[in-house]
Amino acid sequence: MRRLLAPSLILAATLAAASAQAATPKDALVMAWNLDALITLDPAQIAEVNGNDIMRNVCSRLVRFNIADPSKLEPEIAESWSSSEDGLTLTFKLRKDIKFPSGKAATAHDAVWSLKRAIHLNFGNAANLTEWGFTSAKADEQIRAVDDHTIEVKLPQPYPTGLIVSAAFTSNVSSVLNKETGEKNAKTTDGRSDYGNGWFKTQSDCVGPYKVRTWNANDVLILEANDIYFGEKPGLRRVLIRHVPESGAQRLQLEKGDIDVGRLLSSDDLKALATNKDIHIEQTVMHGYSYFAFNAQDPILSNPKVRLAFRYLVDYEGLERTVMAYQGKARNSLVPIGAFGALDEKAGLPFKLDLDMAKKLLTEAGYPNGFTKKYILSANAFNPAVAQHVQANAAKVGIKLELEQMADANLFTKMRAREFEIGQIGWGAGYPDAHSMVSRHAQNPDNRPEAKLAQYPTWRSAWVDPKVNDMAAKAMMERNDAKRIAAYHELQKYMLENGPMAYMFQTVRPIAIRKEVKGFQIGAFEVRYRSASK
Amino acid sequence: MSVTDVNQPRETISRRPEASKIPPWAWDAWRIVSSVAVTLLGLLALTFFIGRMLPIDPVIAIVGEQADASTYDMVYKQLGLDKPLYVQFLYFMGDMLRGEFGNALFMGNKVSADLMRVFPATIELATIAITIGVFVGIPIGVLAAVYRGSPIDHFARIIGLLGYSVPTFWSGLMGLVLFYAILGWVGGPGRLDVFYIDIVDRVTGLLLVDALIAGEWEVFQNAVSHIVLPASILSFNAIAFISRLTRSFMLAQLSQEYILAARVKGLSKWKVIRKHAFRNIAVQLLTIVALAYAILLEGAVVTETVFAWPGFGRYLVSGLLAGDMNAVLACVLIVGIIFVSINLICDLLYRILDPRTK
Repeated sequence: MRRLLAPSLILAATLAAASAQAATPKDALVMAWNLDALITLDPAQIAEVNGNDIMRNVCSRLVRFNIADPSKLEPEIAESWSSSEDGLTLTFKLRKDIKFPSGKAATAHDAVWSLKRAIHLNFGNAANLTEWGFTSAKADEQIRAVDDHTIEVKLPQPYPTGLIVSAAFTSNVSSVLNKETGEKNAKTTDGRSDYGNGWFKTQSDCVGPYKVRTWNANDVLILEANDIYFGEKPGLRRVLIRHVPESGAQRLQLEKGDIDVGRLLSSDDLKALATNKDIHIEQTVMHGYSYFAFNAQDPILSNPKVRLAFRYLVDYEGLERTVMAYQGKARNSLVPIGAFGALDEKAGLPFKLDLDMAKKLLTEAGYPNGFTKKYILSANAFNPAVAQHVQANAAKVGIKLELEQMADANLFTKMRAREFEIGQIGWGAGYPDAHSMVSRHAQNPDNRPEAKLAQYPTWRSAWVDPKVNDMAAKAMMERNDAKRIAAYHELQKYMLENGPMAYMFQTVRPIAIRKEVKGFQIGAFEVRYRSASK
Repeated sequence: MSVTDVNQPRETISRRPEASKIPPWAWDAWRIVSSVAVTLLGLLALTFFIGRMLPIDPVIAIVGEQADASTYDMVYKQLGLDKPLYVQFLYFMGDMLRGEFGNALFMGNKVSADLMRVFPATIELATIAITIGVFVGIPIGVLAAVYRGSPIDHFARIIGLLGYSVPTFWSGLMGLVLFYAILGWVGGPGRLDVFYIDIVDRVTGLLLVDALIAGEWEVFQNAVSHIVLPASILSFNAIAFISRLTRSFMLAQLSQEYILAARVKGLSKWKVIRKHAFRNIAVQLLTIVALAYAILLEGAVVTETVFAWPGFGRYLVSGLLAGDMNAVLACVLIVGIIFVSINLICDLLYRILDPRTK
């Protein structure tokens, strides 16, 4: 027994000494998040929420959204921009005081290299440029540095300036990377350069308020202030993002003060934290949706009246208060509140739970006794509860929904392959303009199976409407703002009645923050770490 | 096969050639190596082909759900997924024979580098957990057998029942609430507090060892405070497993006549238990402890998730959910090697512990 006593006392002393440490460092912001999906830090490749959020604080873009009102644009690396009379040339004037963390001056040549690199690499993010007609073959003519501080962009069409700048030059691909670092670390395989992708995947060398110091995948990511950043200096020297995948554990750490910010908390944990006077919960309405999509290849679901009937099977506001608390805001229109061209809150939520109306529409469609359909969904978060709600209401009007839960990767694969009847899924708009959603959720350039336009949810739903394609194309090219807004309003109203998706909730992003953290600015498209202080 | 065939004397590969000049130890080594190689190859082939049948697309994880077909096709080819399945498998085997496991599809890191990062975290956790399991489980089992039917035995039964039936997710969170949030006796999720991250250079990957090597006593203390709770939670199941079987082995020994004879000779009760009964169950105990350790080394996904522990189990499951077969195959191989190695070590230890096996 005495032999066990000594080690026990040492352990107790060790624990007592170690547990005396409390709170987070004064000069650091400590966040907890689920970093499972974070697989790259290369701005040309990032395709998920965490990477986008983090790298906006590491690599500044040419232009940024106003954090409070994202429909307004602000200068960032570009101090100004202008469009030629014919609308076919965009000119960006860059700041003269931009430097990489090493102290080397950043120039328009670095910015142009970064833009063209994204096009050549052709990861998902390249679509921010390629869908406007920029191509790998023509990139040298389309994007060029006039001098060290001027970029000239030749547009294939005279797009409205606000739209093209918002869509292409606020995105990850407009981050200014160090060309020298990229070229030095580039690897060529089968005659194809990776433009330093292997290096930029795990490290950073770009113009921005923070630089990546350490990244231990699925453990911790540490950012350090870039002392020679041109803009507002970071209030805290370091940002530590810890991988804490379990909501309950995050909540305990937040309550105890071992983290400053909790980024992935369940509704139940948020409800519990809401009563804690040391913690504030910031809810941001995002430009994304939870919705269910119908596959129009199915003869029953191709009937617009059937799809309309489904829209009356959801108690939107009831779910918003319960299952979707802190997670979603009821909305049916495909353009999110806060985006240019969106219907207002009332017009954007015309549906409510109305079983009689649903039954009437089903009868008119020729299915008074209902039918049976498979309904696939993600097993994550609120999805099962929402699907069960839809299932229960559908049963009341004779529709039998067979729910099948699956991993996200499996769900995406099935929907991209058109292998579903009804699928519940989410989508995030890339920029706060109606076109971002309309171009994917209303337009469908080619509905043939062999076109494989899996990036278009309309194609996934095998739904196309030439009238909608035409309305969307006209709205996009309209250079008069008032007329453009009116065109999008008309299109949204049409889609509410006819579209292949039943939108339920605009995504809400809850972030729980300890009260010691001041000035933490949170927007729909950016969480500004540098504004935080203690 | 005809009757004649069956009756023919046959030379098989498993038979040791009598007149061979090959020394017995070499023959034994060859037999072990070849059977291990065949076992691991079969394990890999089975995992690979089952993995490829899963309806999970690794390309989506890389290019994003909104990517267009050309981006998708580009990455699909880069990953070699356009090649026939057997070619993909041969590529992997080629990498493996070169001592690599290829690149993880997700981040593009070498899987071997990833494993060097995550496996030590699991070794550290599993080793402490099995140590707790052995030092708590065996005494409980022995006492329960010696005092069969007594309150001690009932207590051991309750411990066993709880260890088997309480979900780790629940016990982990409850442990955190009590010992971390309320009492403040232990550190929270993760291997270290934020103050101590990045202080110690990585040498072995075992944080406790690295902290001692670096002479960073405070980091060591902090790491201990973080590992003690997940290791204790993880050991709970091992305690149940070890204590129940120890009890059963001991009961079998205690009912033997030699125990009675020893007592009649005048040996004290505990001397008989320690010197005779316990010694005779050592081989069986070794087997179950080794098995429990191997299971712990596979990684405990739930414990690693609740305690944000960057270990092997979560790496394996993340790889599986993302369809990252390079990572999954490497992990399966590691698990296979763990089991085979632990079996071999046990075989050797049997010879030491049980003279009859020499």
